[in-house]
Amino acid sequence: MTATYEQLVSILSTLHDAPADHFRPEATYADLDVDSLTMVEISIHIERHLGVTVEDSELVPDLTLGATAALIHTRLGA
Amino acid sequence: MSATSAGRPERAAVLCGTGGWLPRRKAGNDELADRLDTDDAWIRTRTGIRSRHFAAPEEATSDLAVEAGRRALANAGAETADAVVVATTTPDRTCPATAPLVAARLGLTGAAAFDVGAVCTGFVYALATGAGLITSGVASRVLVIGADVYSRIVDPEDRQNAVVFGDGAGAVVLRGGHASEPGAIGPFDLGSDGAHEDMITVAAGGSRLPADPARTSRAERHFVMRGKEVYRHAVARMAGSARTVLDHAGLGVEDVDRFVPHQANLRILRTVATDLGLPFDRCATHVETAGNTGAASIPLALADSHASRVLRPGDRVLLTAFGGGLTWGSCLLTWPSLPPTPEPSHHGEEPNP
Repeated sequence: MTATYEQLVSILSTLHDAPADHFRPEATYADLDVDSLTMVEISIHIERHLGVTVEDSELVPDLTLGATAALIHTRLGA
Repeated sequence: MSATSAGRPERAAVLCGTGGWLPRRKAGNDELADRLDTDDAWIRTRTGIRSRHFAAPEEATSDLAVEAGRRALANAGAETADAVVVATTTPDRTCPATAPLVAARLGLTGAAAFDVGAVCTGFVYALATGAGLITSGVASRVLVIGADVYSRIVDPEDRQNAVVFGDGAGAVVLRGGHASEPGAIGPFDLGSDGAHEDMITVAAGGSRLPADPARTSRAERHFVMRGKEVYRHAVARMAGSARTVLDHAGLGVEDVDRFVPHQANLRILRTVATDLGLPFDRCATHVETAGNTGAASIPLALADSHASRVLRPGDRVLLTAFGGGLTWGSCLLTWPSLPPTPEPSHHGEEPNP
């Protein structure tokens, strides 16, 4: 779970310009001021690097990073 | 390039002229920001666009196409062409096509003239069509134009699209030649997926849904694009098509000197380049000062890159586009040695051809 979260933060940090300490499990995409196109890019990268499909309808501004990692973790069946 | 079994070089269409034209009126982000309740930073971060040009109320697609076509013919040192192909999503009229009028106004009455509709992929489709006219022996010199006046179909109050699209036209001239010479175009990759026709559309105004104001919504009468889905499909299809055409040619990404993609927005271009493993400094970008000009974007980027000498003779060029339909396509060519052409935004005296 921690590994998944770290992979997510690693993807996010290449796509979104924000100070590293802003990436916290309880932070939402809205908190981080991630725009809609970056959300799509995040989902493309999750699919490519982690092999998990997260729909655009699931990846919403109110979702926290922790909840996203949990979603990916469940899909990975781990 | 390959030769035929008879040992003669393969006949091919050869690019021998380039030209672009942007309408005079330039609109910066600040001008749109007030009306659309947004700001320059918001527009630039999301799209990379700083300004775009808009046609005057009396200017139609053919007016822009004629100017770009005239520059491309001058650049080719040609006075005639026996075929004119116009790629556009915003024809002057629903009927007839725009190309015959463009041909007549360029003094090419009698030339074969027709439009090609593949939205933002239109220019690549028109280039394949023009190349086919030459290799089949139907025409000996073809003027291929991409021209669009999106400001006529985009809702000026549509915050998403009104900042992205601009008006413009770009053109190239093709002649008959051999596959081994500079300027030879091909191979091509073209594709479509009509199951997604709603993703990029003007729903009303065709035979399915007439544009009756009493029976259609404002959104149905204007250009609509589902941004997030388009982004996802555009990245996948452009990268896929680029790889396919490189495979056909037996080349790798490292063999590409200039990548000239449809100028949708800067972020899509960056993502596609990254996906392909192509350094972004090899990617032609014209979107910052012209916006997304639809079918005109690739020939405008070519004319702009040639005018600014970024594009050098012998450069291997990869064109890749994606647009409504959905449609996508790619083409390879080697850039030929051509005389200078004016910058597309330059409207002063033309240099003598």
